[in-house]
Amino acid sequence: MTELIEPVSGHGESRSFARLALARFTSHRLALLGAAGLILMVLAFFTGPALSSHDFDAVDIVNRLAGPSLSHPFGTDEIGRDLFVRTMLGGQYSIRVAVLVAFLATALGTVLGALAGFFGRATDVVVSQLINVLLIVPSFIVLAVFANRYGASPTGIAVVLATLLWTRIARIVRGVVMQYKEQEFVLAARAVGARPARIVARHILPNVLGSVLVEVTLLLGTAIVLESTLSFLGLGVRPPIPTLGNLIQQSKGAIDDAPLRVLLPGFFVVFFVLCVNFLGDGLRDALDPKSRRA
Amino acid sequence: MLTYVVRRVLTTIPIFFAALFLVHVGVSSTTDPLANSRLCLPRCQAGYDMLVEKYELDKSIWQRPFTWFGHAVRGDFGFSEVLGAPVSKVLLERGGNTAILAVPAFLLSALLAVLLSVYSARKQYSRGDYVLTGFSFLGLAMPTFFFGLFLQVFFGVWFQHWTGLKPFYTSLKRDDSWLHLLQSATLPILTLTIVSVAADSRFGRASMLEVVNSDYIRTARAKGLSERTVIWKHALRNALIPLVTLWALGFAALLGGSVITETVFSWPGLGPAFIAALSKPDLDLVMGISIFAATVAIVFNLVADILYGVLDPRIRLD
Repeated sequence: MTELIEPVSGHGESRSFARLALARFTSHRLALLGAAGLILMVLAFFTGPALSSHDFDAVDIVNRLAGPSLSHPFGTDEIGRDLFVRTMLGGQYSIRVAVLVAFLATALGTVLGALAGFFGRATDVVVSQLINVLLIVPSFIVLAVFANRYGASPTGIAVVLATLLWTRIARIVRGVVMQYKEQEFVLAARAVGARPARIVARHILPNVLGSVLVEVTLLLGTAIVLESTLSFLGLGVRPPIPTLGNLIQQSKGAIDDAPLRVLLPGFFVVFFVLCVNFLGDGLRDALDPKSRRA
Repeated sequence: MLTYVVRRVLTTIPIFFAALFLVHVGVSSTTDPLANSRLCLPRCQAGYDMLVEKYELDKSIWQRPFTWFGHAVRGDFGFSEVLGAPVSKVLLERGGNTAILAVPAFLLSALLAVLLSVYSARKQYSRGDYVLTGFSFLGLAMPTFFFGLFLQVFFGVWFQHWTGLKPFYTSLKRDDSWLHLLQSATLPILTLTIVSVAADSRFGRASMLEVVNSDYIRTARAKGLSERTVIWKHALRNALIPLVTLWALGFAALLGGSVITETVFSWPGLGPAFIAALSKPDLDLVMGISIFAATVAIVFNLVADILYGVLDPRIRLD
């Protein structure tokens, strides 16, 4: 097959892929919006509790079920705990869970996917069938079984979610590794005596960076949604630690009288996922290796 | 074709059993049926021994699934303690209830996804396209339970407050009236539909756009075919191919019981039964629902692959 030679865009100056990608990213308005939203949210979650004079578990029976006021911007819950501080702290825990899930799932998926793709044969069969098993078992069984046992803490939930969510990344990495391992530059590296680990890490994996990065942003969103869903079913992080999910769960009984108490943490979940998806969309466009558009 | 199907089924069987095996071991490892009786030993030694016998607790956890398999292949799926009925009866009854939500939700969402992706692709970057894209992003970001709760409050409380009317029920009314069934089922069906339309129409739009901008569509237009024929016959057929897999898997997931939506609306389907079985834990019921959900997932995966071959003659199954 003949390759089409693409003319170098611009005025004779060639730009590196990284600079092109950055240019594309910064011209993607929604992605910038998403990034800004995320930064704002993280700032709010991590500084918010310090700005308020209330403690997240300080009980104030006199002011229970209060509506929003200057002292309690989000009101209070049924035993008078300040909901602003609780929501911010809940957001903090939810983000921590999401980041940990994304990290663990990416690490596991990359390692297993690379092993399967590079060594093929038995290794590939084992990893692929493991993925198939996870696809067949209804994910709720995995979640419920393990969340029941290990899921009471934020770290536990993150580990449980990661054991379920690594498969997509593994499949992407496996595909790319298989595609590249027979190419000339890899054969060249092998010919000069590079060990498999080095070949994979230095020569092959940089090619998946883009698609994995996009997946990671999407994972963050999935993790937050699943965390809140598990909490909704009573399988999530247990009180007294607040998360966005268990805040919704705790006030859902009172949704008729005080919808704000459910809607506010829910809003943060939706907003977070929206921002993360926008960011992922922008990254996907920016890191597309076939695109030469600036 | 037939050999393909047979081979696919044969290769799936070991995975199927491995999955069920792991479910059995996983669920029994997290539970201790003896927790209560252990406290009153030695007074209730008889009851204790009965439980040991019943759940085969004297055997290793890795051996226990095989007894269950032995009964299951002979058509005996055991008895559900939580619901007080044989598992096969529970599956039939609850599965029927789940299908009442799943089938309309699937048909509606597939129809809507096709219409919306055709619209978005033909009017790319129009105001309508932006609005639809915005809504599907929102739909994707919204956790299902949150959307369900919102619909419940909106139609169950606020709408009635504003207008004095209550068009939909927020949980199932148990009587024989078709109208009541419709009123009860609307909100959960709506929840399921919106959630899957959001994902499918994003995907469908991208797929449709790719097809609409391809050479053969230009040829079809150039030779003077009407726009209707070009879009609905030539373009759609190819654009649907990637959607078929999504639909097959989505429908399988719906039939397996939508745990969240059914729980939010207290719908007596497989989903809440599953949660009840897991929290008890009622091992026979968990296994029964798992076997059902896994079978449905496998069958629809296979259907998707066969449909691939039908829709795209270039793909050969062998």
